[in-house]
Formats: sequence, C-alpha cells, structure tokens
Amino acid sequence: MSTSFNLGWRLFKHEARRGELTIILLAIVLSVAAVLSLSLFSERLQGALKSRSAAFIAADAQLRSDDPINEEWLTRAQEQGLATAKQVATRSMVFKGDEMSLVDLRAVNSAYPLKGTVNITDQPFGEKRATAELPQPGEAWVQSRLFQSLGLTIGDDIEIGDGNFTVTHVLVDIPDAGFSVFNTDPIALINLDDLDKTAITGPGSRARYVGFFAGDSGDIESFNTWLLPQLNDDLHSWRTVEDDESAIGRSVASAERYFLLASLLAIVLAAVSIAVAAQRYAQRHFDPVAIMKTLGATSNTIRKVYLFQILFITGLGIFIGLVVGFIGQQVVVSLVADRVDVSLDVWHWRPLLIAVATGATCALLFSLYPLLQLFSVPPLRVLRKDISANLRSRTIQFVASGGAIFLLMWMYSRDLKISAILFVSGAALVLGLLGATYILIAIGRKLGSGRMGPWQLAWARIKRRAMDNSVQLISFSVTIMLLLVVLVMRNDMVSQWRSQLPEGTPNYFLINITPDIRPELDRHFSDNGVSIEEFYPVIRGRFVSVNGEGVNTEVSKEDEPNRDGRRGLGREANLTWGNSLQKENEIIDGSWHGYEDKQYNEGWFPVSVEEGVAERLNIEMGDRLTFNVGSEIVETKVTSIRTVNWQTMQPNFFFVIHPDAMAAFSPTYITSFYLPTDRKAELTNLLKPFSSITMFDVDARINQLREIVDQVSVAVEFILVLVLMAGSLVLIAQVQASMDERKQEIAILRTLGAKGGLIRKSVIFEFVIIGVVAGFMAAMANELSLYLLQTTVFQMEASLHPEYWAIAPSVGAIVVGILGAFGCYRLLTLNTGQMLRNMV
Amino acid sequence: MIKANAVTKVVDTSEGSLQILRPISFEVKSGESVAIIGASGSGKSTLLGLLAGLDQVTEGEIFLDNEALHSMNEEERAILRGNKVGFIFQSFMLVQSLTALENVMLPAEIAGLDNPKALALDILEQVGLKHRAHHFPNQLSGGEQQRVAIARAFITLPKILFADEPTGNLDAKNSEKIEALLFEMNREKGTTLILVTHDNELAEHCDRQLTMNAGELVETTGANTINRKEAV
Repeated sequence: MSTSFNLGWRLFKHEARRGELTIILLAIVLSVAAVLSLSLFSERLQGALKSRSAAFIAADAQLRSDDPINEEWLTRAQEQGLATAKQVATRSMVFKGDEMSLVDLRAVNSAYPLKGTVNITDQPFGEKRATAELPQPGEAWVQSRLFQSLGLTIGDDIEIGDGNFTVTHVLVDIPDAGFSVFNTDPIALINLDDLDKTAITGPGSRARYVGFFAGDSGDIESFNTWLLPQLNDDLHSWRTVEDDESAIGRSVASAERYFLLASLLAIVLAAVSIAVAAQRYAQRHFDPVAIMKTLGATSNTIRKVYLFQILFITGLGIFIGLVVGFIGQQVVVSLVADRVDVSLDVWHWRPLLIAVATGATCALLFSLYPLLQLFSVPPLRVLRKDISANLRSRTIQFVASGGAIFLLMWMYSRDLKISAILFVSGAALVLGLLGATYILIAIGRKLGSGRMGPWQLAWARIKRRAMDNSVQLISFSVTIMLLLVVLVMRNDMVSQWRSQLPEGTPNYFLINITPDIRPELDRHFSDNGVSIEEFYPVIRGRFVSVNGEGVNTEVSKEDEPNRDGRRGLGREANLTWGNSLQKENEIIDGSWHGYEDKQYNEGWFPVSVEEGVAERLNIEMGDRLTFNVGSEIVETKVTSIRTVNWQTMQPNFFFVIHPDAMAAFSPTYITSFYLPTDRKAELTNLLKPFSSITMFDVDARINQLREIVDQVSVAVEFILVLVLMAGSLVLIAQVQASMDERKQEIAILRTLGAKGGLIRKSVIFEFVIIGVVAGFMAAMANELSLYLLQTTVFQMEASLHPEYWAIAPSVGAIVVGILGAFGCYRLLTLNTGQMLRNMV
Repeated sequence: MIKANAVTKVVDTSEGSLQILRPISFEVKSGESVAIIGASGSGKSTLLGLLAGLDQVTEGEIFLDNEALHSMNEEERAILRGNKVGFIFQSFMLVQSLTALENVMLPAEIAGLDNPKALALDILEQVGLKHRAHHFPNQLSGGEQQRVAIARAFITLPKILFADEPTGNLDAKNSEKIEALLFEMNREKGTTLILVTHDNELAEHCDRQLTMNAGELVETTGANTINRKEAV
C-alpha cells in the first residue's frame, strides 16, 4: 500500500509541478467551479424569488379549508419549528347607514402575514406605505373602493353582520389578495377576535379558513408529509410557493427550470472536458505503466498507484474548483447586486454537495475507461512502441460515461423528464455525428488526394485520424449544441415573458359599466387622452345543467343535497358574448361561432367553452349547457373548446355565447385602460362623473410582475455568460488535448522541411472543417433538443431557429479555427529537436 | 540460468498467422554474457521479450532460474521480473515525470527492498550521476539517461539483465562509455547478461553470440557453443 501511495503521490507531485496535469485539473476545476457557482447563484436567486413569491400567499405554504382548521395541526406545526397564522375569508355585506356594499372580508390573527406586508394609505387612492400593525378589535381597515361606494371617511362606523366597526385606515392591499378581475369586492380587514361578534360564519356560510405556515422548506415538507394523510380532498387544499399558478409563479417556475437546465448543461460540459482530458492523461501514461510492469509491478500495484493519483488530482481539482466557484459567484452577485435580489445567505449546502459530487463522479467515472485502458497496457510496449492498450471493447466506456452523465443529471435535477430529454437528444447527436464523420471522411478521401497543399494535408489528417477526429467532432458539437440550447432557450423565454406584459399593458380595469353610460365614458376618456380597450359585455348566469342533467350549483358542501351529482361551477358564471375570438384565445376543438352562424334554430345557441373548465366539469363538444340568467333560461350547445392564456392581463371567460342568445338581456360592460404611473393623480378626475363604475387597480401587480421578470432575465443572462465561459474553456481544453497528439506529426513535417505557414494553414483548415461540421450538427441537434424542451418542460410554443443553421457553422469554424491557430502557434515555436527527442 | 526449449512465436495479423520465431532452443549459464545479433526484423527483440517474460510463447518452454516462465500468467511473470530481472532499453525508458533518483528507486520499491533511496543514491554514485539525482530525464543528455537506466537495472541486483540495443541511441563516444559501464557493472554484480544488438563490436564483448535470421537461430559463436542442430 505504501509503495503505491508513495509512487502515486510522487507522480502526482511532479506532474502537477511540471504542468502536465493542467488540462485534467482544469477540467475538474471547471466542472466543480461551474456547478458550484451556477447552483449557488441560482439557489441564492431562487431564495430571493421564492421569498417574493411567498409574499403573494403571505406564507411559504397555506392550508385552505372549508371547515375551521384543526388547532392541533397548528400546534404541531409550531412544534416543528414553523411559524403559523390564521385567516378567515368570506364575502359579506357592509352597511353604512342605508348604503351597503359587498366586501371580501378577511379576519386575521396577530401573526398575519407571515410573508409580505399589509399596505395602507392615509386617504383613498393615496400613496401606499407598509405597516407592521393590524386592525385592533373593533377596527376595520377597508380599501379605497369601499370609501368611494359607501362615501366613507376615516373614523366612520360601519356594520359587518352583527358587529360594529370603526374604519381607522385605508387599506391598499394585503399580500394574499389574489388577482381576479371578476368577483372582486373591496377588501375589509378585521381582527380575527372580532369574527364571532359578526355572526357571519355560522353553518351554511361560505367561509374559507386559511392556515399559514412559514419556515425552512425541509420543515414545511416534513409537516406536509405528516399532515397529508389527515386531509380530506373535498375540504382541504395545500398550497406552497411552488404551486403558485399566477403569471409570477409560472415565470419563477420556468426560470427555475432554466437554471436547472443551465446547470445540467454545465455538468455535461464539464463531463465532456474531463473525458477529453482523462483520455489524454491515460495515453500519456502508457509508457510509465509499461515500464513499471516491466520492472515487476503487478496489476494490483499499478491499479493502486493510478487510483491514488486520480484521487489526488480529483481532490485538488475539487478544492480549487470550490474556491474558484465560490469567488466566481460572489463576483457575479456583487456585479448584479443593484439589479437583482439575491438571498444574503451565502452558504447553501446543496450546491456544495452537488459540486463535490459532480467533480468526483465526473473525474472517477470518466477516467474509468481511460484507466482500464491504461491498466491493460502490456509490458511488451517497452520494446514495441506500436503496442498500446489491450482493451478493445468500448461498451464499458459508453456505459460508464453515459451512466455518469445521466446519473448526475437525474441526481441534480431530481427530474427524470428533463434529464431524459437532454440525454436522449445528446445520444442522438452522438450517433448522428458518427455518421457525419464517416461521410466527411469519405468525401475527404477524394479531396485529399493530389498535390500536398494545406487543404490536402488537413483532409489527409482528418482521414487518417478518423476515430480521434470523430471523438473530437462529437465533443465540439456537444459543446456548441449545449451553448446554443442555453442561448436560444434564454432568448425565447425572456421574450415570451416580456411579451406577456408589453409596454402599455392595461393597468386599470373598469367594471359595472351600464350600456347607457358606455358612450359617455368612451368620450370622456378619449377627451382626456386615455384610450380604452375593448368593452366586453358581462352578465351573471347560473350554470344549471348538462344535456338536461342537473349540476350542483352550490359551493358549500352543507348546501349540496346530492353530493354524487354532476359537478357544477360552484358559483355564478360570468357569461359574455361576441362574434370574434378574443386575443390569446385559441380554438382547439370545433369551430368558432361567427355572427353569421345561425345554427340555433333548434332552440339552442353556440357556446365556446374554455378547455380547463370543460375538462373539470366533464363537458364535451356537442353537449347542451343550460344557464339560468335572471329568470330566463338560455339553452346552448358546445360548438368549440378554447384555450385561454391566463397569464395575460385581460378579462378571460369560461363561456362565450353567441350574441343572439343574449339579445334580450341588459348586460354591464367591463373594459380596461392604460394610464402611465405619472398620470395616476388624474384617476379621481377621470372617474368622477361615473360613480356607479368600479375601478380595479392592477398597476402595482403589473409592476411587481415586470420587476420580477426583469430580475429573472438579468439573472438568466448572467447564467448564460457563465455557461458560455464554461463552454469556451471546454473548447480550449479540447483543442489543447488534440494539439498534443499533433505534436509528433508537426515535428516530422518540420524535420522534413515543411514551412511553418504550410503546417499552420493545414492545422487551421483542419479545425475549420471540424468547426463547420460540428457547428452544423450542433444546430440540428439544438433544434431537436429545443423542440423537446419547449414542448414538454417549459410549456412554451416550439419554434424553429433557422438563423442558427448558418450562425453555428460559421461561429464553429471561426472559434475552432482560431483556437486551432493558437494551439498550433505554440507548437510551431517549439524547437524541432526538442520535440523529436520527446517523441522517442 | 536460462533454458529455451523449442520456443516459437506466432502472431495473428489481418492477413492470417505470421510465424515470427521458428523453434528455437538454447541455454545460457549463470554469469554468462550472450549477445543476440541479427538484422532488423530477424526476431531478436521478440526473442528478448519472450526470454524476459514480457511476452508469452506460442509453443515451447522457457526456464528462467529454474522457473517455468512459459506456464506463468502475466502477474506471476511480473513478480519474477521484479525479483530476478533487470532491463536496459535503446530508448532508455525512464519515467519522464520522475527524477533520476526516483527512476532508480522504482524497481527497489516495487520489489519491496529496504531503504530504496539509500540504495539508489549509492548506485547513482557508482554510475557517476549522484549530482544529477534530482534532475528529470529531459534535463539529462542521452548518455546520462542511459547511465540512470543502468543504475535502475542493477539496483535490485538482478540475476539476469536484458539489454535491448543499449547503445543504439547514443553517439560513438557515449556508446563506448555506456558499453564499458555496462560490462563493468555486469562483472561486478555477477549478473547473467542477454544483450540484443546489431553492433558486432558490442556483441564481441559478450562471451557468446547467437545470430538470428528470419526468426531462426542460425549461428552460435564463442565459448560454450551448444549443439547447433538442437537450435534449428
């Protein structure tokens, strides 16, 4: 043991000092540093994003229930180190003298909110400020709209149910206000201790009880594991930050997936560079192994010597990688600190473990085959240099390398799908490249004959080193492809995020517009230079039956006499009608009903149903849906199913009916408009003549959303830069490794009197040819990977990127060619005699 | 010390089997020095590889210090080489990333000898290179590298030394020095020497010369000539 250890250590020490381990060390350092900096940075970024998202549900997790929440559960959560808070939400009437209005009543205990802030202002529609206080018993904080509709002033008394309250503050918003243009009544916030005196939450009421939980994600998860078996699906629902289905939630989720993807690709890049370096390392040790075997070293001794050496290299590489990675991400964080929120918690264990595991797994598994080759070198090599490794089967290499990459991806992402997609497209790329290489070589065979110019020399080399070149081509292509995937994915994703909220996105909604005031409103707004979007007619109707079979119409379980009956909407539906399909809506089944579509002479009217609700309520094409509007019955038949982009800030509808069906009804209208922030003060003037209209302010929401999108985009760009750097280093390592193999040939050509220019040109041409092919193959494989990623992982629309079909080969040729030129320049400066002596 | 009995070597090539050695038999006594000479491609290096246990015979028997080399596997042969055999090569075959001292220590460490460093320094002094002990091979001249190789070959006091064209890569002056050193050390340590060369002058320094031609042992000259018929 000690002999092997000493020998291993000695070889490691000298080789490290003499710079012979630089490439393999660099590869390990790179893998560890890239993975650590990427995952640490993304963890810190996600920490910040998560806490922002947490603010939208006022906690890290929520338990919603139709029944009061079991106090024991809250106690248990506290015992597990979680902070808890409670809220009861219900809709109720508020009275001020004879005036009344429906409010979204929220009764909260003193711990609320666990995340985010309650914002108040001193006068209706005034500038908001955060407060740490909450309404005291007897107090109510209500939103500006209620001040408007009830004519309130601060200090007025209001009645909620049986209780009397004094209005002490104008409430601007609460973290978990939710976002919906419909069914949104102004919020009234009261103390939970006052709820009983209102007597509005008795049996049959439609109250929602919410338990809030905050703490470490591990604690939350273990509490959830404990709680889950005790929950009743009909009554309870558990939501965490990750379940956030809002536009923000989705952006954060897709950003997380992107970080994950970028990190996975960094791992693959690192693995490729280690594989290249390990192969070169092993080849350089063929002679020492043959010598040691000749001198009597047994296979066991050789195995130990190299195992120790690989462990030393890996250890050192991991150590330097951790230091470099940590410094790297600190630099990035300090660069973006003013533009991006990152968690201040600088040390996260998971990235550290992942980085170490990546370095170790890559170094050990990727050196497995080269090492096995090394161990198989026969001692006879000391007499016959042409004898190399005895190991011929590459199965073990494919299994070990492929297995290592897949294992790392899976371990890191904990997502089988994303790992499998990348892995399969990677494997397809490798197979495609093998085919391409053989075709290339066949073409080269013809071009390579004739007088020996630099092109002929380049082709001759490609032809002769077919296997080496195909390996090199594959690694170049994989690297370029991964860079393309990260780059294109980032462009597509960021532009998609931004397109959700273009400049001028309506930031105010107006509801309850009656037909008589609509023209006046339109005129008044345009006189004031504010353009109004489309008006949508809305009427409330109860969805009562499908094909004559009644559906449950009540939401409260106590009110449902027949629980087994067909599922209903649970509330009144907002019905609209129109001739044209709304923006961001897409028909996926049937066809849209135009105005000319008069198929309703059998007594039913066409209706278009949103896909999600159709699925939830089990509605199919051709089903007859009956709505109860006021005292009238509206019979409809499903003629189309639509998808709706819920992420757009526009009114979206479950049911859109043919206009003729609604001709008899008098609807109200809903519309939206955009008012720049600096014109906010004009709002009161704009709305003064229309006291019956309710305004809904989504400006703050949009700004918040936009801020997050900007922040995530900046972060994504930095991650892109990091991956690009990692990829470039991999390319350099590959070129350097291959230069080593070219040394001998260059030495011979020099000895035979070849001019530097000829050699340089031929090497550059060789790399240019490889770069073009690698770039082209990478562009193809990129399309395949992107298609799979966009359609299955990122839920985006797949897109083709033909521009990269030209860009990738050009950039491949230029970059690989330049790298080749640099590597070659170094070799040409070496003394020919020295090179020849080293070859012996 | 060495006994070869009807040794043949056949290798498989893409064009079928190729017989590199025809049945060869001879004996080498302990302390004897034998040169194997012949033109390039005559099979002398192949024979050396077989005698030293670096390669396996196709047919026949080889006994090395009474041990049946032909029936050993690679592991057993490695142990035998470590204990009883020393090597010197045309291209020196030093481990480039180890110093001269460490290269010399290598076989002693592999064989598990005590105090390999002291042994190595001592023998480096004998070859006149103690002052270059901490230099790497690429910092040494060809002659110096071969002296390091000689020191490495003798450190374990092997019973048999195999030398493959030991002066092949050296100029005349260095060749002479190495030749002198090799035979001096050989005499001093009482080692049996098998030397492959096409340098007749070097071969003549040996007690006996075996001449190879097209895979056959065609001539044995010098003392202790054995029956030639047996060798054909």
